[in-house]
Amino acid sequence: MAEILVLAEHRNGELREITLQMLSKAAELCQKHSLELSVVVLGAQTEGLVPILAERAKRVIVYHDERLKNFNVDLYKETLADLIGERKPLLTLIGHTPWGMDLAPALAIKTGFPLATDCVDILLDAGKPKVVRQIYSGKIYTRVAFKESPSYLITMRGGAFSAEKTVSFQAEIVKHELPASLPALRKEFVEFQETSKGAVDICQAEMLVSIGRGVGEAEKVGILQDLAKSMGCVLSCSRPVVDKNWLPKCHQVGTSGKSVKPKVYLALGISGAFQHVAGISGAGTVIAVNKDKKAPIFRVADYGVVGDLFQVVEALKSKLGK
Amino acid sequence: MNIIVCVKNVPFTQEVDLALDGSKRDIRKEMLAYVINEWDNYAIEEAIRLKEQFNGNVTAVTLGKEADEEVLRRCLAMGADQAVRIEPGALQADAFMTAAILATALKTMPHDLVLTGVQTDDLNHGMVGTLIAERLGLAHAAVVNSLKPADNKARITIELEGGQDEVAMIHLPALLTIQTGINEPRYVSIMGIRKAAKKELKVIKVEELGVSADDLVPRTIIEEMYLPPETEGAEMLQGDAAAVADEIIRIIKEKGVSL
Amino acid sequence: METLHPAAIKYLGIPGFVFGWFLLIIGVGLFLFIIWQRLKILLKGQTDPRFKDWGQRIWSLVVYGLGQYKQPRYYWAGVLHNMIFGGFIVLSLRSLDLIFSSLGLPVLKPLMESMFGDFYLSMKDIFELIVLAACIWAILRRAILKPKRYEGSHQFEAYLVLGLIGFLMLTDMFYEGSLMLLNPPNTLWLPASRLTAGILSPASPEFLKGLYPLSYWLHLLTFFFFLNFLPLGKHFHIITALPNVLFRKLRKGAIKPARWGVTDITELDKLGAGQIEDFTWKHLLDLFSCTECGRCSDMCPAHTVGRPLSPKMITIKLRDQAYRQYPLLPGKKADNPKEESPEIIGELIKPDEIWSCTTCGACEEECPVMIEYIDKMIDMRRHMIETGQAPKTFNQVLTYFEKTGNPFGKPAVKRADWIKEFPEVPVKVLKEGDRTDVLFFVDSYGSYDPRVQDIVMAIAKGLLQAKIDFGILGPEEWDSGHQVRRLGEEGLFQVLVEQNMAALEAVQFKRIVTTDPHAFNTLKKDYPKPFEVQHYSQFFGELVHKGFLKLQNSVSTADRYTYHDPCYLGRHNEVYQEPRDLLRAIPGLQLVEMERARDRSFCCGGGDVILWHEIEQEEMRMAEKRIQMAREAGANVIVTACPFCLIHFEDAIKTAGLEGQMRVTDLMELLVTVL
Repeated sequence: MAEILVLAEHRNGELREITLQMLSKAAELCQKHSLELSVVVLGAQTEGLVPILAERAKRVIVYHDERLKNFNVDLYKETLADLIGERKPLLTLIGHTPWGMDLAPALAIKTGFPLATDCVDILLDAGKPKVVRQIYSGKIYTRVAFKESPSYLITMRGGAFSAEKTVSFQAEIVKHELPASLPALRKEFVEFQETSKGAVDICQAEMLVSIGRGVGEAEKVGILQDLAKSMGCVLSCSRPVVDKNWLPKCHQVGTSGKSVKPKVYLALGISGAFQHVAGISGAGTVIAVNKDKKAPIFRVADYGVVGDLFQVVEALKSKLGK
Repeated sequence: MNIIVCVKNVPFTQEVDLALDGSKRDIRKEMLAYVINEWDNYAIEEAIRLKEQFNGNVTAVTLGKEADEEVLRRCLAMGADQAVRIEPGALQADAFMTAAILATALKTMPHDLVLTGVQTDDLNHGMVGTLIAERLGLAHAAVVNSLKPADNKARITIELEGGQDEVAMIHLPALLTIQTGINEPRYVSIMGIRKAAKKELKVIKVEELGVSADDLVPRTIIEEMYLPPETEGAEMLQGDAAAVADEIIRIIKEKGVSL
Repeated sequence: METLHPAAIKYLGIPGFVFGWFLLIIGVGLFLFIIWQRLKILLKGQTDPRFKDWGQRIWSLVVYGLGQYKQPRYYWAGVLHNMIFGGFIVLSLRSLDLIFSSLGLPVLKPLMESMFGDFYLSMKDIFELIVLAACIWAILRRAILKPKRYEGSHQFEAYLVLGLIGFLMLTDMFYEGSLMLLNPPNTLWLPASRLTAGILSPASPEFLKGLYPLSYWLHLLTFFFFLNFLPLGKHFHIITALPNVLFRKLRKGAIKPARWGVTDITELDKLGAGQIEDFTWKHLLDLFSCTECGRCSDMCPAHTVGRPLSPKMITIKLRDQAYRQYPLLPGKKADNPKEESPEIIGELIKPDEIWSCTTCGACEEECPVMIEYIDKMIDMRRHMIETGQAPKTFNQVLTYFEKTGNPFGKPAVKRADWIKEFPEVPVKVLKEGDRTDVLFFVDSYGSYDPRVQDIVMAIAKGLLQAKIDFGILGPEEWDSGHQVRRLGEEGLFQVLVEQNMAALEAVQFKRIVTTDPHAFNTLKKDYPKPFEVQHYSQFFGELVHKGFLKLQNSVSTADRYTYHDPCYLGRHNEVYQEPRDLLRAIPGLQLVEMERARDRSFCCGGGDVILWHEIEQEEMRMAEKRIQMAREAGANVIVTACPFCLIHFEDAIKTAGLEGQMRVTDLMELLVTVL
């Protein structure tokens, strides 16, 4: 029976949201195309993870081993190469995360199976998988097909699918052992560290004034700080603002920053690259101001303004009687 | 310390209205300006800093046409010692092929460290670096935002999502894909780039490398490119700045936020 | 009673002229040595082609050198200086006479005993009194008034030299005075000598017989001491000022190439000035010629608003560095090889001092000895760009200029999209081979900035109404490069020039008219081809003058307008009158002048560095200061002819909370309302 295999990503004893998103999409595909859904989890403390996974797939393959305490690409690669080589699932889904980006390509070379990364949709066309990817930072979409192969690898973009459980399962749990011979590890985990906490906690804010590259320069940030202050709320930002050292990291919203769920998110000069947008999927209302009417942010925003953000900011300030 | 950096010359698409070409499998590129891939800029800057600190040698490599030599000259101007361009000829390389070609070329170059950007501004794959690492049998890590060599290892920080980083010790030789923000890339002036023309820039044709035929078969094929669906999207607010500001304030209050 | 000439008197058996020769040989010998040591510094500098345009140069020498034309800009200081300067000119003959006679060679005696000599001796006396009075007045003024612009200048030296000059006058006066008493009668009119004679009248003949030779030799001793003291400090200007004026920069507003005589800058090892020897010999001569008067810093708008820049201090610091590196007595380091010459940027001159400059030219306009600042600033900026010492904020902007031809990073293909915003005004985009009368050079801000597009549209409307055949280059036009060059990115500037030259040479036109003074200045001065370029104010001035346009509607007489001279239209290109003529031609317009107008206009903040780099120490924005000046002049409307001035003033009015009380308008926008 053809199968879709999903790799469960977890950290600090919890499943990452992307794992559930992949399982949702995989379940949908499995139901539509009569495929079996299996999920594989590797870890040293899988007890808390397995029950959740058991509701989301037909089969949970568990590698429980002390050596798997932390993600290690060499271990995962050897183990999964064996598993995939043996089972030859139609598709193996891995999250497009830093760990996933470290693992999937290595796995592709080791197994010889083709890989497409950062996919926002998956479809089966006459039994053959095809994916949809965004390129040029979301300005263009592509539909991509694979070279013929017994098995295919796909990394999926976080936030592209809902994590909702649409199909219920009661999985069979299968325990596997790590391969007998494992290579010497070439990377040693040291520790996790929180990226600079900073004084600001944007996660608790009811409303955020968020700034992006469109602000133009460090000196202009003060104007936006004023606006945030006059609105009684906090400033957040997209990645480029932190890269350029205009604001400290604690303000960053996005995949490599924080996920925020404010009632209102005012995005000023933010283009709407997915890495950022992923961080506001839980936001209530998104109002975006950008000079470029084609900016991707307008696709996810609830309200949009095409114009000079500084003019709007000026007007807001004077209305609020700064 | 021998460092190799893989770089790519990509189109500068900020505020550009991209259009598809006739085949609908590529975009029209005639009017586009080209720049160094943003992630690669951080990677080459990191390599130069390591060179300055540890007395190393940096080679910049790209798979590209003659016009793409400008990205190599930029790297040389920043401080790279030599550069290599691999001429693809008529080959249309996907990520898999690109990695195969680059890995074959790198095999003959001494390297303690190979740096690539996490992904490119154009195709946004994020896989070429790791594909190369696996082919070369190098230890690897992706999305690195801090790098400190120590003897035959390096202490790295990997930027995970959700505000957490992973600190690890990786064995050298290794390949790392570099994340933006790891440093502040220096400016290179036009004069600096022109003078770098005196540094060594070797051109190798793909055929000369001896890449296996199977490795030159694409693993992914773009069937179609299309513009994003015009979804419902945002409700656009009309009027001048004052009118818009009024509306925004009204919406904010409506959603239950006290101003 | 005949008295012996001091040179003839025997002192302990030795005739005076022996001392005369001794003094001469030592004095002149030492002087020549010092001058040679100083000259060697000039020889270390880079080449600078100043040995042509002699007509203009000689004329400058007459007007600014001998005529001291700029001195009275600071009125009383100027008067004082010209008194002393005039004295030096007139008394030089006297000094020669005294020296020759000290040698026992009274070569000039016949001349002095002629009718001319009688006249001259009276003049000499008058001038000695004038100079003495000036010295006393100058000392008092410096000590009591303490003019602010002297801060940082060497005060002790100033007092010393004024004292020495005064002493020179006194010794000659007392010499003549005592002789007058010893050798009556006196038929000549010698007021100074008469004065000292009056003071000395109670003295005995023996005393006087001892006094006059003493005074004489003291005078000569002081003279030679003074001569040798000159090259040691700011009074070197007494010798170098006239050559400095002779070799002045004749093209205001142009920037020197990276190195004179080198067209391919990649040939150069280094770009810009990082060490003192990287400056040209003329720039080094500038350093020698600084009088530390402080007029440059006084007029500098950056200095006025609290930025760390003081042009005077830049010159003094560089000069002292040059003297330190090449001391008069070589000492241990025989001939300092250039490699050891320390970096001037960093410790000596802080980067922000250099980035504070807006290249407005107020300093150069003011300097009485024609010291050049702008080229030095640009050379230092070039060095900083090449060595990664420029503010990081420039990286993005310069990359945008390079890749898209504008500082915004907006696509080059969209450069002419502004035309679509105003469908009622048809604007032709020229294609290769097209021909037109006026090439309207819009430049980047005009093309992409919404506020400046309004000005561009106004210009287009004006051109249409006057039925002028015009066109724009459209996407083929890239930024004029004015700012890029003045930021120090010379290579990038050349790239922009190449692109624009190709575009300009592909079409035919009679003249170029620009939106803004920066493009006007660079097209005229920095581009390789001598195009006929005008700023729109000049062109429209002509149109109105010739009747092609009539200014019919009037403006409210309740408003008071004042015109702000943009630096690159006014000072650098001396276009002061045309905009004013246009304004005066508008019915009902009440025009007032600010105190600092025309060549003393106060820079708005500028069109380059300030857009991309903040100077933290600034106490207030230049634009805010200028708005204050406008208010003080009684104006409520500022008219300007430069889009950067406009943007800065609009911002300043907002931050000062003067919206409603003051407003800014661009000259063209104003004209369009009255056509």
